[in-house]
Amino acid sequence: MTGSSFIYVTYIRSPQQKVWDALTQPEFQKLYWFGGHQESTWKKGAEWKMFMPQHGLTDSGEILESDPPNRVVIKWRNEFRPNLKEEGYARCVMELAQEADLTKLTITHTIDKENSQFIQAVSGGWPRILSSLKTYLETDSAHGDTRSAAEQTHK
Amino acid sequence: MTGSKFVYVTFIRASAEKIFDALTKPEFTQKYWAGTRQESGWCVGSPWKAFAPNGRMVDDGEIVEIDRPNKLVFTWRNRLFADMEKEGFSRCTYLLEPSGSCTKLTLTHEIDVSPSKVIEGVSQGWPMVLASLKSFLETGAPLEESTKWPEGI
Repeated sequence: MTGSSFIYVTYIRSPQQKVWDALTQPEFQKLYWFGGHQESTWKKGAEWKMFMPQHGLTDSGEILESDPPNRVVIKWRNEFRPNLKEEGYARCVMELAQEADLTKLTITHTIDKENSQFIQAVSGGWPRILSSLKTYLETDSAHGDTRSAAEQTHK
Repeated sequence: MTGSKFVYVTFIRASAEKIFDALTKPEFTQKYWAGTRQESGWCVGSPWKAFAPNGRMVDDGEIVEIDRPNKLVFTWRNRLFADMEKEGFSRCTYLLEPSGSCTKLTLTHEIDVSPSKVIEGVSQGWPMVLASLKSFLETGAPLEESTKWPEGI
């Protein structure tokens, strides 16, 4: 198989629906996703866009599959860094599963390109975002450095 | 290059000292790491051993590098399953770095075997252990699922 991938699994002490809402609703995203948010109806075929306060539109694509609150697949391209944009569309799968009082969240981000700079970039971003999401849902306050994009450059 | 590797990064709202203690001291590991405890003199060359709650030794190895609370490198051999034990010693590295209000913990677990049963196994285990460590340090309560030694092992 050729291509690049990033896989991350975490367990969050929160109901699955709450984790889904935090991943998909702008008012929650802004609290832990470097101040950014996403716009989409999250239905199959819908447009998907991500915005960051200091950059405006940073990423865009389309919802390829949607099964709330279990699974969503996003066709995802970076729009603001030319070297990442030229790699074209990546595919991001978010899978959620309730396990007792936990939600298991699996992120699989892949692209059909070896040594992808895009996958390298998201490999740095996802652990920060998902750590902050977990803290936000378990303690009601996200990490200071992922709350505001002004404090942390979106890489 | 041959070999297998698992890398996992998490950010924890706690000091590096606290995380280092939680990764190494029995009074902490027993709370979130399946009831297990580790024994070592924690100096370069010291033996390192991990024990199940029933006292059975499940892993052993040796401290390769220690710079508390920034870095710990140790060798790690599985002693519980024959197919993993025969792969020999893997190498586990904890790297702790300040990051804003958090500490960035980078775990690297690698072995000179490909494909490796050990790395396949730890890839399944580490996300739960480190998620529970993070919950334990940030909320005072580990994840319930991670507190018990698995039945039948």
